[in-house]
Amino acid sequence: METTGSDIVIRTLEKEGVEVIFGYPGANSLPLHDRLIESPVRHIMMRHEQGAAHAADGYARATGRVGVCLSTSGPGATNLVTGIATAFMDSTPLVALTAQVSTNLLGRDAFQETDIIGITMPITKHSFQVKDRADLGPSLRQAFALARSGRPGPVLVDLPKDILLATCPVQETRDDGCQTAVLKKQDNGSGLGEIATALNQSKRPVIIIGGGVKLSGADRQVNELIHSAGIPFATTMMGIGSVQAANGLNLGFIGTHGHDLANRIVHQSDFILAIGTRFTDRSTSRLEGFAPQARVAQIDIDPTSIGKNVSVELPYVGDIAQTLTVLLPLVRSRSRSQWLQKISRERSLLEGKLPDGGCGEAGRFIGNLQKALPEETTVVTDVGLNQIWTVRTWRARAPRSLITNGGMGTMGFGLPAAIGAKIGTPEREVVLIIGDGGFLMNIQELATISYYRLPVKIVVINNGQLGMIRQIQDLFYDARFTTIALGNQVDLRAVAQGFGIPAGRVHAGGDTEGGIEALRRAEGPYLLEAVVDPENYVYPIIPPGRSNIEMIYGKCA
Amino acid sequence: MNSKDAQEYTISLLVNNQPGVLSRITGVLGSRGYNITSLCVAPTTDPAVSRITLTGGADGDFTEKIKKQLDKLVDVIAVEDYTGPGFVQRELMLIGLRLSGERDRDILRIIDLFGGRIVSMNGDYLLLEVTGTKEQTQAVLGQLEPFGVEVMNRTGPIAVPRFFNGNKFASSTPGG
Repeated sequence: METTGSDIVIRTLEKEGVEVIFGYPGANSLPLHDRLIESPVRHIMMRHEQGAAHAADGYARATGRVGVCLSTSGPGATNLVTGIATAFMDSTPLVALTAQVSTNLLGRDAFQETDIIGITMPITKHSFQVKDRADLGPSLRQAFALARSGRPGPVLVDLPKDILLATCPVQETRDDGCQTAVLKKQDNGSGLGEIATALNQSKRPVIIIGGGVKLSGADRQVNELIHSAGIPFATTMMGIGSVQAANGLNLGFIGTHGHDLANRIVHQSDFILAIGTRFTDRSTSRLEGFAPQARVAQIDIDPTSIGKNVSVELPYVGDIAQTLTVLLPLVRSRSRSQWLQKISRERSLLEGKLPDGGCGEAGRFIGNLQKALPEETTVVTDVGLNQIWTVRTWRARAPRSLITNGGMGTMGFGLPAAIGAKIGTPEREVVLIIGDGGFLMNIQELATISYYRLPVKIVVINNGQLGMIRQIQDLFYDARFTTIALGNQVDLRAVAQGFGIPAGRVHAGGDTEGGIEALRRAEGPYLLEAVVDPENYVYPIIPPGRSNIEMIYGKCA
Repeated sequence: MNSKDAQEYTISLLVNNQPGVLSRITGVLGSRGYNITSLCVAPTTDPAVSRITLTGGADGDFTEKIKKQLDKLVDVIAVEDYTGPGFVQRELMLIGLRLSGERDRDILRIIDLFGGRIVSMNGDYLLLEVTGTKEQTQAVLGQLEPFGVEVMNRTGPIAVPRFFNGNKFASSTPGG
């Protein structure tokens, strides 16, 4: 009996537990698309390859499984690039399959040929161009192992057409099972005992939780650490939702758009235990001004993330869940009443400082939206003010219930990512909160939503402009507004209806109840346009080049 | 890096002998703004494994950070810092120049002094081979330049530990 390269690819995907691929066909990917007809692996045809990459990313963020996208060669492959880079920056496990021209055409500038391996080298964990049919199975298995392992991330597998079409006897493919050891062992760094001792001795400790906690599935261990030792914690934006603790220990999230309480308390701390964060510039703001009195311990599975930005006295390389299991019994609970009292004083001082958490009518609207939706709702954001309003307002009740892209800041991510999240977790309500700018960037995916009847709830917050850019121009460019106006010529409801999606419209500052109710009750997809004031910004904010405690609370501050 | 405390580093890597591996390695350095001064790639006794020696100037904790980044690459089997007196460095330099009668004695004296070897002579054209540390080859070149060096090419340094302590990384059959 004969089998083809495509069959090997698809059988390997099935064995890896892949249930869905987000893709778009082309001449060179046809051998694969053809063999998918008989496979239980579902192929969701997006309307743009960028959408396919973001959808696979959203699927992975929602489920914790590896997301898979598939494109043809040339422009299909290059269209994946922004999506791959977005997954790379936020450590999403992703396997990108790209078709390629046949091996005899490689390097000849053939039709739809591009060196996608070269193009994606800096934004993938690794990549394979399979030039021998016998390497298909092992390369794909390695790709999945690499995408999942350590600090997760995207891996690209480039598949020349002739390799996909090559036939061979079935029995020859049996030995594909050999697993190459691709996962490297790492030194752990300093002892956990030292970290525990430093934490136990500290008077003003703070735990900082990054996106790695979610990725490691370590929310239970982190919760236990915080509660058993009674240590206040802040998150990064990517860490939001990892920990459900209240008890006055939750400070909010740190950074440029973060909570003033979190920024102020981290600044005054004498010890930071950083878990699963690389301390990006968005989290620390001006690095020299970040937590000047704190000794820093850092736990991360990726040795290159340790000390990448902030210098670390006590590093530990390891999986967070496993590491915390060992660390927990070493941590003593001790009374730090002075520190906790200080925090509670600052909290009450800051709480009244800005109404609606600094998010204005948009924040109030998002709060009302969450109240109307089931507890088991996943919220997906785009990038910009819509994102900051949401992450500051939404109460994330489960680690993977708030999906946002942090590192890359990719506008246009939200709509396809919501599709991926809905397909990965069909039992959950999925609501997308997106601005009018980002909505237009991948608007073609409305067609995917209506074609597959995906009950994604879309909220477009419409201020007729690029709001975050407007705020920056207003505050830091002497209110010289330029290149921000999106105008109001586009009737978003008519657009949605044109795609076959029912739609409504509210003013965020007015009566929103009916509009939200229509969105909630819709059985299929629904789009709600929420109009907000162009000057509805977000405060406090940290001016460029300033440190985390130099927050400003308004235009004249 | 133009930092004041920039210093020369030597990094030795064992890598899979495959297409694209070198570009991943240079990409790690290039994307972080680090220049490579010299680069030497050759197979080990295991033809599936190559050894890369690269040198350059860098500041601060560069070597530690870059070692970790390089070590993350799937095709990098191992990476070590070969900077410092614990390692013997050699490079090969080929120099072509023309004899002119009167100054030949000086040229030959310099060749002799530095242990250079005449590889070929074609009429008055002399091709020399010099090996040594980078400082030594540089010194020969400096000495010969006034006589009109017409051709020069050098390999850049390779390095091994001064003492072999059984370390698999430094072994001649690292892959085996």
